[in-house]
Amino acid sequence: MDSLFEDLRRMNKRQFLYQVLSFGMIVSSALMIWKGLMVVTGSESPIVVVLSGSMEPAFHRGDLLFLTNYEQDPIRVGEIVVFKVEGRDIPIVHRVLKLHERSNGTVKFLTKGDNNSVDDRGLYAPGQLWLTKKDIVGRARGLLPYVGMVTIYMNEYPKVKYALLAGLAGYVLIHRE
Amino acid sequence: MPSSPTPNVDDEIVPPPKVNKWDGSAVKNSLDDAVRDILIKKLGFDENFNLVDGRLGICSIAVAIAMLALLWDYLYPFPQSRPVLLLCVSAYFVMMGVLTLYTAYMEKGIFAVAVYKDPAGNEPQTWEASSYMKRFDDMYTLSLSCFKGKNATEKTVQFEKSVACFFDTEGNLLLDLLEPEVLKLHNNLTSGKKDK
Repeated sequence: MDSLFEDLRRMNKRQFLYQVLSFGMIVSSALMIWKGLMVVTGSESPIVVVLSGSMEPAFHRGDLLFLTNYEQDPIRVGEIVVFKVEGRDIPIVHRVLKLHERSNGTVKFLTKGDNNSVDDRGLYAPGQLWLTKKDIVGRARGLLPYVGMVTIYMNEYPKVKYALLAGLAGYVLIHRE
Repeated sequence: MPSSPTPNVDDEIVPPPKVNKWDGSAVKNSLDDAVRDILIKKLGFDENFNLVDGRLGICSIAVAIAMLALLWDYLYPFPQSRPVLLLCVSAYFVMMGVLTLYTAYMEKGIFAVAVYKDPAGNEPQTWEASSYMKRFDDMYTLSLSCFKGKNATEKTVQFEKSVACFFDTEGNLLLDLLEPEVLKLHNNLTSGKKDK
């Protein structure tokens, strides 16, 4: 540990600025990759983790899903969509059960989880009976099993997440090149 | 620790800290720092920071672009921010490309640039020190170049030695062994010039 701080103490202003910028670049690269994915897929959250078992046996808790949200691809009954209920942050992954479409293009969806016995009306906001296009985050296009468990653990034990991030930040800031 | 009140050419060089002798990059950094100290403190050159500042500038621009993207997306949530995000992401990766080219072609392993203003009033000489050490190899190559003004012909001398020549078993850098090597290169260049 001591040698790490030695390195830091011996740095002059420029060295230190470079270390801070290196850290900034790592954070920025991650950020830019995420925003880049958002732009390419058209979805505000291109990668989501399945949080419940309501879509078994297709998806299990902890699976990682890749989404797209293209305007030109209309959503049809039977497709799996990820949506967010207004006022709640948690994305829900379920299948489209019913669809109403108007000639001007506005659509209304009703969804249901494969493993649930009732449709999602109980999950929607009070008074809301249908989902609209703006509630949809995207359609599921790809799957990586189990990988999302890491995210679930880190959210259940936030201290682990902060400790890991702090450790990483400390290491990058102090270690030279 | 007492320090001399007035800075002079023979400023005491702070003994470098112990390094892990098996850590290649720490060893190389330690040698580079010591060579820089010799040029600046022992020989009294003025350090020129343009090269390092260039790299800092490119990194700062890249980080600024990323922050702009973050801020814009926060103020105007996703689908409206799409064009700005697209612009920022492309600009960011362009800057990464620029940084890679800069490091590869402009920096080329140069870790110190110093200027020597001849008291006799001749043109100031620019000295560049660069080093190279292959991964997991112990051979350290130090190159010293000297040239006057811009676009002048430059003379380069170098030595390639194992890092074991300069470090003891504990990992301490022995300046007494490094200094004569560096001064030899320096003298090589200065006396070579006088021959012409």
